[in-house]
Amino acid sequence: MAADVKEIIRAARGRGSNSLDEPVGKELLASFGIRVPASRVVTSPEELPSAVAALKPPYVLKVVSDEVVHKSDFGAVKVGLKDLAAVERALTEINAALDAKRIGARRWLIEEMAAPGIEVVVGGVVDPEFGPMIMTGLGGVFVEVMKDVAFRICPITRADAAEMLSELRGAALLHGARGRAPVSTDAVIDVLLKIGGENGLLTNSADEIAEIDINPLLVTSDAATAVDARFILQKTAKR
Amino acid sequence: MSVSTRSADSFDALFAPSTIAVVGASATSVAGGNRFIRHLKAFGYPGKIFPIHPSAAEIEGMPAFSSVSETPAPIDYAYVAVAAQQVPKLLRSFAGRVRVAQVMSSGFSESAGGHDLEDELVRAAHDAKIRVIGPNCLGVYSPRARVTFTERTTDEAGSVGIICQSGGLGVDIIRRGQNRGVRFSGLVTVGNCADVRPHELLKYFLASPETKVIGLYLEGAGDGRHLFEALRAAEGRKPVVILKGGRTGQGRRAAASHTGALAGNDEGWKALAAQTGAVLVDELDSFLDALLAFQCLGPRSLPARRAVLFGNGGGASVLGTDALARSGFDVAPLAPGVAAKLQALKLPAGSSVLNPIDLPAGALQQDEGRAAETIFDALSEGGGTDALVIHVNMTVVLSFRHVDMLGNLMNAVLRVKSRDRSGMHVVLVLRSDGDPDIEGPKREYRSRAVAASLPVFDELNAAARALAAVRHFETFRERLAKPALI
Repeated sequence: MAADVKEIIRAARGRGSNSLDEPVGKELLASFGIRVPASRVVTSPEELPSAVAALKPPYVLKVVSDEVVHKSDFGAVKVGLKDLAAVERALTEINAALDAKRIGARRWLIEEMAAPGIEVVVGGVVDPEFGPMIMTGLGGVFVEVMKDVAFRICPITRADAAEMLSELRGAALLHGARGRAPVSTDAVIDVLLKIGGENGLLTNSADEIAEIDINPLLVTSDAATAVDARFILQKTAKR
Repeated sequence: MSVSTRSADSFDALFAPSTIAVVGASATSVAGGNRFIRHLKAFGYPGKIFPIHPSAAEIEGMPAFSSVSETPAPIDYAYVAVAAQQVPKLLRSFAGRVRVAQVMSSGFSESAGGHDLEDELVRAAHDAKIRVIGPNCLGVYSPRARVTFTERTTDEAGSVGIICQSGGLGVDIIRRGQNRGVRFSGLVTVGNCADVRPHELLKYFLASPETKVIGLYLEGAGDGRHLFEALRAAEGRKPVVILKGGRTGQGRRAAASHTGALAGNDEGWKALAAQTGAVLVDELDSFLDALLAFQCLGPRSLPARRAVLFGNGGGASVLGTDALARSGFDVAPLAPGVAAKLQALKLPAGSSVLNPIDLPAGALQQDEGRAAETIFDALSEGGGTDALVIHVNMTVVLSFRHVDMLGNLMNAVLRVKSRDRSGMHVVLVLRSDGDPDIEGPKREYRSRAVAASLPVFDELNAAARALAAVRHFETFRERLAKPALI
């Protein structure tokens, strides 16, 4: 497993990149047992039919590019696409948006759209004082406006992970506040452990990885799926 | 005879030295080394003191030696206060003759251009196989060994061990702490921590039988990961209180991710407290109050959550209830059986036997304090009280001049504590108006109470915070005691 991480990161560095693009980041998460949507990467519109045929609708189409940091700001993410025709239309629209910004990226990620759930954020950062640290919070305004997050130093235990969730001010939402069904906190805890637990992805690769954002992690009553993932690499590999 | 403890991590030589060398005492004036020798003598240090001086025959009335190789015995602890430039060479001369050296001199990494000299100091320490505390610090205080670096320190030894990165604050901790009843197993100022790092001294205190409670004042960066690992390995063996300076700095990076932008200077320390049971405090008074609480109160296996407030003064009771609630305590009505016992006492008008229990000063004295004792017994026997906070308005209580009302009350508390089987924490809040004729007696009552392991606080919010510190530690130990979740 650790060898995979090194190889993936070496390849990204070889391309002159200081981050992992979304498909590569998700491949890394999947190799650590974190659920990601089934997907295909296509490099031309001609590849769309076979990619769509291999996946279950509805679909999500996103551009893959180091230049596009906030994909949704560019209109570079299209969701709820029902069939091939919709996917092809979306691709044309994304290209137009990219052309307008003079962005030359031409790889796309087509994914099965994850079932609706509660949005959670899981992050990682390598702190100069404490080394690898893991973070979680509830998605959207909870993280961005209220900064309702919990940090722990890696490696964390299962009890640490459970405590991170319970100390969030918005924790009640996970347990089914406002008439909604509760979601699986165990699934979130599993993700936290796979990133920041003993032998977790960040715990073991803090010399290579500087920051991680899994945002959102979509949590349902029985599963948690990493819908978007971003990895920033250390400037140069430490050690 | 030669000594070497580079590999052995025992700091006994620092806290209980049989021989002390002092480098940096003058034959003609009063330098730092002279003051240290005078402090040692005044404090009754029973070991051997060897002043080291290149030319003087005698310093502070004692024979001086030109180097540590000339002294009649090897040196446990060397006090070094010479110009920074001379320090590396001096440390090399300690090889095989000194176990621990403490370098007070400044002019190292704390000042511009001093980094190289500090690197040289570390290399010299390694080469000479000695451990070096500092540089840029003030010294060590160890009442059991009668060693002190400053004046007016009590010679009563205690159980609180302190690692302090600031020399001046170290003096504050000793002086203000001892006036509150904190008694120390040792305090070491560590300055720049060039060689010996805080986590190494933490491990020493965790293992040392004299130390029951550990306090750290830290500033600057660098030792967090090691402290985390040492504390995690300790599994809540001893309570640890951390006062960390510089936690308010804003995010230190131009973060590329959400997570990086959210990670301020404080997040790691808060995480450390949650994951190790260490208590994180924000200022000196909370630090000392938490240390005093841990010195006096053994941790409960079930964390303290339900508090009963007892005292005189309606307003103080209301504010005290708020303070306890804010600190996470439940100030709930008394159990029916307990309430019935209190009602049967037929206390005077103006009393309230709900929770808070609010008695006018006169009622505190009913039956020479036996009414209060009956109440404490009822709380102790009735269950449902994890922490009893007794607050006294001293101005009012001392105005009853014909009786020792507070003395009677304290004796009642101590009698009940001696037969209490509920394990409730009992703390005392002595509220003063600051007049000298109140402060004097308060001081005496405080020292009597703390000597009997009844911690005393100046205000209700201070008591609430200190109890919350104890509960944080108890909660962590309870979590550890549960079967593993993995």
